[in-house]
Amino acid sequence: MMEKAKILSLIGLIAIIGNWVGYKVNPIEALPGMILIVLVTVIGLALATYLPLKIPAVIWISFIALLATTPIFPGNAWIVDQTSKINFMAIATPILAYAGLSLGKDINDFKKLGWRIVIVSLVVYTGTFLFAAVFAEIIFRIQGRF
Amino acid sequence: MKNSVKLHVIVLAFVVAGEWIGAKQFNIGIGTIALFPMLYVLIWGAIVSWPKFKLMSDKQMKHAATVLGISFMLFVAKLGTMLGPSLPKIFEAGVSLAFQEVGHVIGTIAIGLPIAILLGMKREAIGATFSIDREPNLAIIAEKYGADSPEGRGALGVYVCGTVFGAIYLALLAGFLGSLGILHPISLAMGAGVGSGSMMAAASGALAVTFPNDAEDIALFAAAANLITTILGTYICVFFSLPVTARLYNWLEPKLGRNKLSIDKGGDKS
Repeated sequence: MMEKAKILSLIGLIAIIGNWVGYKVNPIEALPGMILIVLVTVIGLALATYLPLKIPAVIWISFIALLATTPIFPGNAWIVDQTSKINFMAIATPILAYAGLSLGKDINDFKKLGWRIVIVSLVVYTGTFLFAAVFAEIIFRIQGRF
Repeated sequence: MKNSVKLHVIVLAFVVAGEWIGAKQFNIGIGTIALFPMLYVLIWGAIVSWPKFKLMSDKQMKHAATVLGISFMLFVAKLGTMLGPSLPKIFEAGVSLAFQEVGHVIGTIAIGLPIAILLGMKREAIGATFSIDREPNLAIIAEKYGADSPEGRGALGVYVCGTVFGAIYLALLAGFLGSLGILHPISLAMGAGVGSGSMMAAASGALAVTFPNDAEDIALFAAAANLITTILGTYICVFFSLPVTARLYNWLEPKLGRNKLSIDKGGDKS
């Protein structure tokens, strides 16, 4: 748990620097928001680890972050204000850098795959993305939303 | 410890360089392709970790994968803080959010399965097309058919493809579809919530670059759709997607299949 908290803080710092370079937000100003995000993550991970419930960390973290930013939570306005200084893309960039750096270990498995499975996976990703978008669009149009 | 310092320093350097370059859009005639920091660092990372270059050890790459799993939680927390203040907006779009989930479920199977069968795949097609085959889905298929079954191999194949190029492919697709102007950015954002972290991040990032004015809402609805897929996905897969895909396979295979008897007997590795 401590190890995870350290890694999260480190990535938080990297994201703040990215947020500074890419979105011109002063790192000192962005710090409280990032501390809040790291805190929510650590609490969520701890709940998923120590509670005897089979609820994954992703759901705990989403739930706590959501709860802390709804009007029923004390200080929610401040929390929303601080966390909004961190651009969501700035957090995702370091994550995808780690994803890229871990790819080497999958390349040999990938080379062993046949061409058919590559085509099928492209079709599967296209299908899931496009159908969901089209279904959402149909409902929005029926409702006359846009 | 030494391993991880090198890893984090590389990531920091990538992030600074990537964010400094910033987002670019390329016109390819019928639409545009969005390129942005997430994609640059992903590709640079893939180059640095390419086995032939021997710049990174297996241990470091495994460590990067561990850090990836933990760091994704930060992204989840950030998206969560965007959900709280916008709950009324999300409930207003509730029907669309419910139906996009149906779209995710049907969309994986509806085109994937017939094409897999037409290409000559046998029972691998079931594992390959019942879901987008991320970790939880692999567990489901392993439990039902065994990890080394044809179904398990199909699922693992799509899993590996997804890891290697899923995020890049979905980002390019999302940016391109967005630039065509047929579908609304919010509908596309819901589509981006496919239930895989890096794919969702990259696809919603591409949409945010394509529609800078809607960036906040795009992140919001991609996050909401992704959360629904994460919560319901396992149950839907066990009770609907997998049994339905298996039945559809039994029905479609005799109609569309070819090279009968050849592939199941180990004639083809795919």
